Amino acid sequence: MRSKIFVVAGLFIVASLILSACQVTPSPAAEAETIVETVIVESAPQTVVITTVPEAVVPAEEKKSLTFNFGVGDVPTIDPSLGTDTSSIQVAVETFVGLTRLNEVTNAVEPGMATAWRSVVNEDGTETITFTLRDDVPWVRFNGKTVEQVLDEEGNVRLVTAHDFYYGILRTLNPETASDYAYVLGMTLVGASAYNNGETDDPTTVGVEVLDDFTIALSFLEPVAYNPAIAGMWITFAEPQWIIEERGDKWTEAGFFQGYGPYVLKEWVHDASLTMIKNPFWPGTDNIPVPKIEEITGLMLDQSPAMAEYETGNVDMVSVPLGDIDRVKTDPVLSAEFVIAPHFCTYYYGFNTAADYVNDVRVRRALSMAIDRQALIENVLKGGQEAAQWFSRPGLAGAPTIQTHPDLGVKSDAEAAKTELQSYLDETGLTAADLDLTLMFNTSDGQRIVAEAVQQMWSDTLGVNVKLVNQEWKVYLNTVRSADTPQIYRMSWCLDYPDANNFIREVFAKNGSSNPFTDGEPSGGVHYQNEYFNQLLLEAASESDPVKRVEMYAEAENILVMEDAVIAPIYWYTRTTLTKPYVTRTFSTGGQEYFEKWDVNMEMKSEN
Amino acid sequence: MGRFIIRRLLYMVVVILVVSFITFGLMHAVPGGPFDAEKALPPDIIKNLEKRYHLDEPLVMQYLRYLNAVFIPQFSSEGLTGDVEDDSLVNIKITDTFWIKWMNFGPTFSSRSRTVNDIFRQQLPISVQLGLNALFVALILGIPLGIISALKQNTIFDYLSMSIAIFGVSVPVIVLGPLMIWIFAVTLKWVPATGWGAQPPYVLGVFPSDLGWKYWEKALMPSIALGLGSSAIIARLTRASLLQVIREDYIRTARAKGVKESMVIVRHALKNSMIPVVTILGPMIAALVTGTFVTELTFGIPGMGKYFVTSITNRDYPVIMGTILLYAVFLVVANLLVDIMYAFLDPRIRYD
Repeated sequence: MRSKIFVVAGLFIVASLILSACQVTPSPAAEAETIVETVIVESAPQTVVITTVPEAVVPAEEKKSLTFNFGVGDVPTIDPSLGTDTSSIQVAVETFVGLTRLNEVTNAVEPGMATAWRSVVNEDGTETITFTLRDDVPWVRFNGKTVEQVLDEEGNVRLVTAHDFYYGILRTLNPETASDYAYVLGMTLVGASAYNNGETDDPTTVGVEVLDDFTIALSFLEPVAYNPAIAGMWITFAEPQWIIEERGDKWTEAGFFQGYGPYVLKEWVHDASLTMIKNPFWPGTDNIPVPKIEEITGLMLDQSPAMAEYETGNVDMVSVPLGDIDRVKTDPVLSAEFVIAPHFCTYYYGFNTAADYVNDVRVRRALSMAIDRQALIENVLKGGQEAAQWFSRPGLAGAPTIQTHPDLGVKSDAEAAKTELQSYLDETGLTAADLDLTLMFNTSDGQRIVAEAVQQMWSDTLGVNVKLVNQEWKVYLNTVRSADTPQIYRMSWCLDYPDANNFIREVFAKNGSSNPFTDGEPSGGVHYQNEYFNQLLLEAASESDPVKRVEMYAEAENILVMEDAVIAPIYWYTRTTLTKPYVTRTFSTGGQEYFEKWDVNMEMKSEN
Repeated sequence: MGRFIIRRLLYMVVVILVVSFITFGLMHAVPGGPFDAEKALPPDIIKNLEKRYHLDEPLVMQYLRYLNAVFIPQFSSEGLTGDVEDDSLVNIKITDTFWIKWMNFGPTFSSRSRTVNDIFRQQLPISVQLGLNALFVALILGIPLGIISALKQNTIFDYLSMSIAIFGVSVPVIVLGPLMIWIFAVTLKWVPATGWGAQPPYVLGVFPSDLGWKYWEKALMPSIALGLGSSAIIARLTRASLLQVIREDYIRTARAKGVKESMVIVRHALKNSMIPVVTILGPMIAALVTGTFVTELTFGIPGMGKYFVTSITNRDYPVIMGTILLYAVFLVVANLLVDIMYAFLDPRIRYD
């Protein structure tokens, strides 16, 4: 009988919820907000009730604020040592600043926390770069009401020092931290790999040295052009040792978090939104100005609801879902707010050069040249993507551009494709219909429409019937790195640091991401072994003459996509964004926005 | 009845253990691991990650470690340490230096600073709120529609009610949701398009503390969108069941005795016709309150539903285990309640 009462009571509660909803509620303008948080004080849990009244001094309309969308799902982490995805790194680059900082548009290396750096090539071939740091940047935190400077035990303001950078780099490399991106430092910093894989636990073997409070020296394995860019990556940021040791993994939660960048973490409602507030103690530099916008809020919405919020005026910038692009382009208001900006990623089809039929370069070349990339972009992708002629996205340091190398690489050419294939068919005595080819992609509508269009192009131009197979993402990732890599498979690559080395060498050289080796033999992916290609990329990495360097990468790209036709590059990514007209902004090419350079016209915004 | 309930609760423990075993086996049998990514990680890095999450241990050890952390109460000299590895759902203080901790569902691989328990604490209440709202919508719409169409069989009322029901079944949230957003949020601007209005602390850990318009302006659309589909199922079931019961002998007897027609329907027919409805209510409640992927995605609600899907695509093992076990518990408990309701609805059913 008790359960009957329970059910009835349950219904009663729900009914009462509805009824109480009809009550008139006071305007929520300056209501006191009660935050209950569990604070851990010397192992005894206490519930502290903090009652805050939102600063009513400045009317909410006048505070400059901006809302954007991270995309669906919680931001995985804002710990600089651990970030691997766009959202995590976005928050990290705004709440911290690296030794160097990349210009978000040109990707040139600019000063960050280091005002100057000096490079010396050592006798053993390593390169030591000595960075001189700013001495006027304090650690800050949001205390529930305002942003305040962090004090040390003696009550002095804690400045960001070389020791904090040392701690940050060593923490990234510590095997217990288990940082994904530690491998980038492992490849570049002296002694980093051995420390990271546990061969040694002696931190002095790592090529990081604190010379004084505001001078730090990093020793790199090779004297390559992109070393200063590596020194600006999020995995090398200064980190607050005292709070990390006190709070453990929870140090990145709002309330505990400490940073020093132009913005500070204010609130993080997991799975819903993350808000950053202007750091008034950021001194402002030529390339990292004092922010004009007071608060930046990132929502965590799927593309379509985010689009709806943009149209209702609650979100100030949004990326356009594929289904809405045609409508946006024809809408008189939205089309004026629509911008297509380059994004540093490349989409490609890889060939397993050890598999049947595609083990002949003529077949691979024919398939690659038979893809009408422009038609694919205009009719299927619709986002103004650029037809890719090679792999390394133009705009990366060292990468050729269409302006300087208009005829480099592979171009869509139906006649040449037919000739290549015919030559192979004549020699083997096969017909086009005999070629038993499989194209594999990961299960997703976006991949399927591209694969179906390409399948049709191959059938129309070459008479080759390619089977389409798809696998669930994680299963797929294992398949395309195994000996069973399908003949043709799709993959993409986005930038970590803006250098051609991050693309062509880290993906396709021996042991690259898409070219794994086991016991000195190719064991998955493109199964590609070319000593000259590997050597050329090694030399290009450390070439100091920029013009010569581009030519070396151009040669390597031509080998990759044309001479050996290991992959069919398809398109270079773009981002399709809508931004409200009252926002003054820049368009980042790497994926992270620098909001401190943006502005919002609040008068125009309130009229909107 | 008491013995029946105790017996069923003991069965529940067995069911949960079996579910945990099967889930654990299946998720490790699926190819691909949590650290496979578009950018292949070097073996050294994978090794560090596997060591951190104890994935380098034999599977049997991993399973026992999990069972121990979740099912066996642990003794600790510290309360809440703030350490992600050490986050239990139940923390009982005996003395300052002696704590009993129970149900540590483990870390999440996708987010370093959060645990499965964090997801339960922060996302589950939102899903429960949405689910209960939707259930309310389903009952308040479904049962009256079913009764009307049964009593007025083959009239315009019947056709109208069943048309609404068919609409509810055949227009899924993925269509209805964006349509509602477009009409009521984008065009009419009556309500916001996305988000959830309730914030912690919650009443009883689940219910929103402020039920003003601030809550309902965001809760109305998703609750109706989600409830409509279930209401259609309830309406059709109620109709079919009531039509059958009305033709039973005992209804004829009641009428012959001269019982008022309204009493015949409410006391005799309706009560008995609720049995099939209550039967599906069990799984329906469990499904609604543990989170609904599409509704939460469409209306940007930070609930649990997403984790059921993304944990599997990410091979986030502790989250897979946590969500499946949570669902299993809700399902078993809901079905137990259903069985108890049977005894109340049909006097012929006895458990002792």
